[in-house]
Amino acid sequence: MLEALRSLNGPQTLGNGRVFWSGFALVSLIAIAYPFGFDPYDVGNTAYFLIWIFAALGLSLMWGYTGILSFGQMAFFGVAGYGYGVISINLAATGGMTLVAFVAAVGVAAAFAAVLGYFMIYGRVGGVYFGIVTFATTLALAAFMGQTAGPEWAIGSARFNGFNGMGGMPSLELPWFGEPVLLEGTPLYYAVLFMLLATYLGLRWLVNGRFGNVLVAIREDPLRAELLGYDVRKYQLGVFVLGSSLAAVSGGLYTAWGQFITPATMGLPSAAMPIIWVAFSGRGDLTATLVGTFVLLLSFQALTVYSQQYALILMGLLLLVTVLFVPAGFILGFGRRLKRLHDRVLNTERRPS
Amino acid sequence: MRKNSMTRALLAGFSALAMLAAVAPHAQGQEKIKIGLLEDISGDLALLGMPKLHGSQLALEEINAKGGIMGRQIELIHLDPQGDNARYQEFARRLIQRDKVDVLIGGITSASREALRPIVNRADKLYIYTNQYEGGVCDGNMISVGAVPEQQLSTLIPWMVEKFGKRVYTVAADYNFGQLTAEWTRDLLKKAGGEVIGQEFIPLGVSQFGQTIQNIQKAKPDWLMMLNVGAAQDSFFEQAAAAKLNLPMGSPIKVMLGFEHKRFKPPALENMHAVANWFEEIDTPAARDFKKRWRAKFPNETYINDMGYNAYVAMYMYKMLVETAKSTDKNAIRKVIATGNACIDSPEGKICIDPKSQHTSHHMRLIGVKADHSVEVIKDFGVIQPYWLGEIGCDLTKADPKEQYAPSNLPKKK
Amino acid sequence: MFAELFSIVFQFADVFAFLILAAAGLAIIFGMMGIINMAHGEFIMCGIYVTVIGVQNGLPLPVAQACGALTAGLIGVILERTIIYRLYDRPLDSILATWGISLIVTQGMLVTMGSSWPGIGTPTGSFAVGVYTFSTYRLVLFAAAVVVMIGIYILFMRTSFGTLARATMQNPQMARALGVRTPRVYAASFGVGAALAGLCGALYAPTMTLIPTMGITFIVEAFVTVVVGGSNVLLGTVPAAVVLGVIRTSLNAWHGQIVGQIGMLIAVILVIRVLPEGVSGWLARRAR
Repeated sequence: MLEALRSLNGPQTLGNGRVFWSGFALVSLIAIAYPFGFDPYDVGNTAYFLIWIFAALGLSLMWGYTGILSFGQMAFFGVAGYGYGVISINLAATGGMTLVAFVAAVGVAAAFAAVLGYFMIYGRVGGVYFGIVTFATTLALAAFMGQTAGPEWAIGSARFNGFNGMGGMPSLELPWFGEPVLLEGTPLYYAVLFMLLATYLGLRWLVNGRFGNVLVAIREDPLRAELLGYDVRKYQLGVFVLGSSLAAVSGGLYTAWGQFITPATMGLPSAAMPIIWVAFSGRGDLTATLVGTFVLLLSFQALTVYSQQYALILMGLLLLVTVLFVPAGFILGFGRRLKRLHDRVLNTERRPS
Repeated sequence: MRKNSMTRALLAGFSALAMLAAVAPHAQGQEKIKIGLLEDISGDLALLGMPKLHGSQLALEEINAKGGIMGRQIELIHLDPQGDNARYQEFARRLIQRDKVDVLIGGITSASREALRPIVNRADKLYIYTNQYEGGVCDGNMISVGAVPEQQLSTLIPWMVEKFGKRVYTVAADYNFGQLTAEWTRDLLKKAGGEVIGQEFIPLGVSQFGQTIQNIQKAKPDWLMMLNVGAAQDSFFEQAAAAKLNLPMGSPIKVMLGFEHKRFKPPALENMHAVANWFEEIDTPAARDFKKRWRAKFPNETYINDMGYNAYVAMYMYKMLVETAKSTDKNAIRKVIATGNACIDSPEGKICIDPKSQHTSHHMRLIGVKADHSVEVIKDFGVIQPYWLGEIGCDLTKADPKEQYAPSNLPKKK
Repeated sequence: MFAELFSIVFQFADVFAFLILAAAGLAIIFGMMGIINMAHGEFIMCGIYVTVIGVQNGLPLPVAQACGALTAGLIGVILERTIIYRLYDRPLDSILATWGISLIVTQGMLVTMGSSWPGIGTPTGSFAVGVYTFSTYRLVLFAAAVVVMIGIYILFMRTSFGTLARATMQNPQMARALGVRTPRVYAASFGVGAALAGLCGALYAPTMTLIPTMGITFIVEAFVTVVVGGSNVLLGTVPAAVVLGVIRTSLNAWHGQIVGQIGMLIAVILVIRVLPEGVSGWLARRAR
């Protein structure tokens, strides 16, 4: 058990010590107890924020740990969203079948990522150009889906409906003893929280192990990693598929939450949002990304509610300030400062009188 | 003995006052009626959203000054979704669950409306959509205030065919609204004895129309049906005028929504004809009074557009519905609509909500734009019902399918 | 028959001019400094608004257009000296920073100038060839694109500034060691790029409707042209514009504008895959 826990720690994540994990335990407890003290609207809204974090974690894995800038998170988000719609509508899914549709949708997006990734990575497209290709793909997909308004654009009984968006898909339901549980409000919150914790811990284990070491090596110097004998392309492709699949998870969950998906989620400015979240938070660390994305989503929504016309200006300023003054990421910078403080405190404790 | 009675009198007096104080807040400070408003005032659609917000605010002020609805003051809770469908979803939930609004009003694009409907349906709230659109929504939770194709095109197209000719070239935005309205155009043109000799679908955001202008000249139509949407696509008018295309144009969406005749330099919009339930240039006494009140509150408004007018009218419609139903309960309101007598007197004339489709009848007028961009009302078509949904089988007094239909997507015959 | 041919050539020239004018500024900034300027659309918008406001306040059109270009150029220099210069070795961060600037500018314009602004008309003048009529101003646009290309060539190949700029582009450290004031060269280059964007806006201003977010309508084509062209603005932009112009015009004619738009984006993907350094890289390698 301790062995498993120890594998969650490592050089690739900032928080490793006892203080961090006690903090983590505390936050988890608060998260679990949260619905009991708060308005159902707030719980549902928080669940909605959590849904987007998978895409951010996926991008952190690709960009922060492996150095692959993918501008395509929202493309896979959209593919999974539409996939969920098509599959669940055609299966007339209820209960456990909605979960099957969800998993299948993520699978479709993963396959698409594998094809696109193979085309680019084995074609030695890298750096900024990788970002441009994924950006172009996202925009092309958005443009294509936007004109699917006619009745001929349908798969089975699911019409794409172009710009107006596809609706009519069921919400996710968890099969339970007796009635299936509709994943809305508090049940959705717990389901997403559980999935997020599992993903976070799983990614921690991944990046702190040998796989993660290779990823960081590729990020630092791909040529050197290749010369050391690693097939860089295989790792890059694997990470690209994994990271994009996490975006797909977000997409499926979002579509089931709102029972609606439009091409606009794949257009501008939506396509740039994961980049903004991850850049602001600190792409190099999973915890920073998780915390930072949540903070950003909360702040942006509050900004839009309370300062309406100025919200976009403040968002632009935030981005600018982050890039200029805290390029590693705000949350990460904050985290590093905390760590230094913690180490200094520890050192002063250990020093003999 | 006298002291005792005085004390008793005082005590009685105080308790009477206390009881009055306890009762009085209930009598006056009754709970406000909350109206949730979702209008874009930033982003691409700010041009259209601002007049909508103003319309709602003007109506709010007027209604509250006259005593509110059923004696209760109304409160407008407005959130700006910035043209982002996800924000529409988030804010709709917020308004419904947290702010507990009695009714939701808003949305500009059809995408935003379609994003709202699942949320409104799940919470079983009333939703009023105030924009003209491609028609077809058969949903018991929704009341549509805007005009629909059968009201605009069934009046515009026969008139244009008679005045200018039978050969028509359509320039449409390449998405649902453009494609559906182009379909309506084809059907109605055939009925009027005309034909569509060419169609072009332009993706949103395209601003260069050289090829389109040449295609039009090659086809030699009698007039153009303009279904272009968005500021970029509006550049067509300037470029066509510069190339001296000089063809008459008809449109259900120009002048009334984006007030192009005020934004473009003359004579770009010359010879444009449009049919709508509201133009600022309408000159009836009711319209003049309405315009005076609007400009008193918003002196810098460039143009009181159809969307702003509809937003204003929607508030009065809601007032009428609640006062007739004597409740804000959605089902009570739907019963009022089902009677067929849900009507109000508006600046355009008397309009009613159709029981079968919950869409609004409108007083349609045709305008023409002259070379100096002045607008004249050419023809008054009277009140046109939103008949199409009822005709194809949507009857909300009997069944509530919560679907959007189109000429190519009719309800399945049972 | 002649009318048909003329119309096809005219259409191609129109698309070509649009691509060149939209991309020139972006290409210079990307070629010189490796910065992807996501605020490119906003420099174009600046040129448009300054031109239109100039004309509406009595300036003759060409003067207003020059003002538009100069204003954009000046703002570019200021931006470069304050923000951009810190990002030269961080291309990914330059995307974020310029994206932030773009957000601030577009929303700021909306708040201060309103959601729309009255337009100015296209200078009158049209001519007919066969059944088609054309606006003479479109020829002006084409001529301007050609002049811009020649101007860039002269600037970079025949002036001392051009030599310094090319030297700095090829090897900044060496240039600095030889006494070139690289910060000034960068600032000037960024200013030239911004001014070209402003010029694009100024030229197209009479033909379009004005909203604060109008930069978007230029930016995708500009990016596509720059990516396909590669980092050498002299070698790459013109061939890229030719190739993309052909693709766009023929796809438009065959199956409508949406196919043209998606086709361009797919062209980007394919070119990056097949010619990772763009057309200019391919041409440069062939020249060796």
